[in-house]
Amino acid sequence: MTGARRAALRSPIETLGATAMQVAREAGGITLLAGRVLRCLVPPSMDGRELTRNMYRMGNRSVPIVALTAFFVGGIMVIQAGMYVRQFNATGLVGWGAGYAIFREIGPVLIALMFSGRVGSNNTAELGTMTVTEQLDGLRALAIDPIRYLIVPRVVAMMVMLFILTVVGDLVSIAGGMLFSRLLIGIDPSTFYYSLVDNLDWIDFVHGLVKSAVFGLSIALTSCYFGVSVRGGAVGVGRAVNAAVVAAAVSIMLLDFFLTFLLP
Amino acid sequence: MSEDRPATGPRQRIERLGAAALDGLAATGQLAGMLGATWRGVVRGRRPPGEVANQMFVVGNKSLLFVAVTLGFIGMVMVYQSCLQLERITGDLSRIGPEFLKLLVQDFGPTITALMLATRVGAGIAAEIGSMVVTEQVDALRMSGVTPIDYLIAPRFIACVVMGAVLTVFGVAIAYLAGGLTAWSSFDLNPRLFFDPSRVGFLDLGLGLTKTLCYGMAIPVISGACGLRARGGSEGVGAATTAAVIGSSLAVIALDLVISGVGLLLVGHGR
Amino acid sequence: MDLDIPPGSRFGLIGPAAGGKSVLLKLLVGLIAADAGEVTIGDDKVTGASEDALMAVRQRVGMLFQNYALFDFLSVGENVAFPLVRRGVPRDEIDQRVRDRLRAVGLAGSEGKLPSELSGGMKKRVGIARATVARPEIVLYDEPTAGLDPVTTSKIYDLIRADQAETGCTVVAVSSDVDALVGFADRVAMLHQGEIRYQGPAAAVRDAGDPAVRQFVRGELEGPL
Repeated sequence: MTGARRAALRSPIETLGATAMQVAREAGGITLLAGRVLRCLVPPSMDGRELTRNMYRMGNRSVPIVALTAFFVGGIMVIQAGMYVRQFNATGLVGWGAGYAIFREIGPVLIALMFSGRVGSNNTAELGTMTVTEQLDGLRALAIDPIRYLIVPRVVAMMVMLFILTVVGDLVSIAGGMLFSRLLIGIDPSTFYYSLVDNLDWIDFVHGLVKSAVFGLSIALTSCYFGVSVRGGAVGVGRAVNAAVVAAAVSIMLLDFFLTFLLP
Repeated sequence: MSEDRPATGPRQRIERLGAAALDGLAATGQLAGMLGATWRGVVRGRRPPGEVANQMFVVGNKSLLFVAVTLGFIGMVMVYQSCLQLERITGDLSRIGPEFLKLLVQDFGPTITALMLATRVGAGIAAEIGSMVVTEQVDALRMSGVTPIDYLIAPRFIACVVMGAVLTVFGVAIAYLAGGLTAWSSFDLNPRLFFDPSRVGFLDLGLGLTKTLCYGMAIPVISGACGLRARGGSEGVGAATTAAVIGSSLAVIALDLVISGVGLLLVGHGR
Repeated sequence: MDLDIPPGSRFGLIGPAAGGKSVLLKLLVGLIAADAGEVTIGDDKVTGASEDALMAVRQRVGMLFQNYALFDFLSVGENVAFPLVRRGVPRDEIDQRVRDRLRAVGLAGSEGKLPSELSGGMKKRVGIARATVARPEIVLYDEPTAGLDPVTTSKIYDLIRADQAETGCTVVAVSSDVDALVGFADRVAMLHQGEIRYQGPAAAVRDAGDPAVRQFVRGELEGPL
């Protein structure tokens, strides 16, 4: 709190400059980490057990939260579409509208945000705790490269798992949409289904999945970076988790923007 | 970690599902109790002088840039995607601006801003209070005759409700502006057609406001509860922060579904 | 287990690490709710009391926490003043008492510093000042000397003793540093595996009947522990 008070006394320009420096330092750190991870992947060499363990853990842990979120999101999209259905009497377009929004945008972005909250922040907390308890130095003392041993499997696991979870989430979301459109606006599931498959292309589905893989990479890199650069005990770990989820959210939104324009 | 162990059979899976549902119910009950205690704390007003203003500054200052960046980009993306699809199907983009504003005001603006606040402010509250718990500062507060809810949660609660509303208005404005610029630059849509608030009615404003207030109350209570439950050292604080992000994000989405559903029923009866 | 702490005594609680000594201390003031059993302070029941009722009980108790638990967002002076502010003591009296307390613990003039600027021993002393500033009837010390060198340890116990002599309060101290604590307390109890293995005068603990207690106090390798 005193820190905040002190910050308030600084001139706004100074604060802006400090923020810019901070962002630049973090972006640089994350890029460096990405480079080192890439070097370990060409040719691919990593601890296979660590990879499968992380994949199982991350995937298993997130299925309930992703499914629940996706189900709710399906309902929300149908309700939004329902407002227009009443107005224009366009029952044939609900499946299309909800499906388009879910596949291309809302599905990948929201599932990525939830994944970041669940797996990304947990990863930061875990690596952060290892850092403050000097376990990373312990690994180095045993001549084991922490990047290769700890970071690379996590990065690969997060990319793969977010991709798979997005496929699952998209499907759950559509199922939720069908259920809610039946319950709330009385649209038959088959009407919903044909509206979706007639108007949408495979490319819409793939568009979202490509995004999810990129989001997975950015969540992995930010969460690992903030984890290994923790300073200062329990307080530091809490702060690092906070910083990691925020950075992941910003990078998801930024990447979403660029990918939307780049992808068909 | 129990999460690492696979379930051995369908029966155990169902049992686990049931246990999870019961846990969820119990947690909801506890949160309702805490919301009540927080309201009492707000009314009783036993908090350090100036703390509400301080927390409002923290919430606003921490999130202004974050909300601007995220809502700005999401506004651009949403308008771009919608224009792309509308051009393919109907070819008429003239209605996109007013409809986009309606959607922003009654749903996307409050909800996405709240998701960002859950990430930024919710995690911050849990990290801060969790650190105080594991360093026994919360016990020291209680020894001095102060309840942590009055002293720590209530000021953050007020700050989140007020600043949540302010940031939502700000976020909607940024997203709308960014969307209009995208439609103009990428699809040559006349800004005069885009910036037309005629489709936003009182019901939309009411829905948006209700959502904003509910999210503003849910985030600090859930994050505060996660922080107060922190145990152990740095692992405990990390786990509390994680739980706060996920819990408050999920609460935002669930509240959105419920309030939007009620809104849809209201529209149905109005016409 | 049954533990009786006479008013006005210097009571020491010893026992092996992670044996539940700190938990017991927190149970005494209701910071942790008891699953079963009864705790009373004077005539007030702690177990089963509402949080508001506990607040009244805690007004009579001061506590030094194991990791100092100084509020890191407040200055040293504000930390020490904290219990008084909550009791509605007038401003100039608070200032006076904070200054007196800090002088008593040997930290005169450091009101404006932040806890992060202090060493471990200094933080302990600020914690003691905060625990005793409201002149409580009972002061609980959780590991008052953990992690401190022997000289600082003696200084801390001298400080607590002088303070107790002046106010006549009941002191309960928990420590795994047996020698220093037994030298300080007039009565001690030993807690081991959830049981009170010894309860009686501090002078007699070295020759206690229970071999486990004797072994622990004398620091011998051979024995039931």
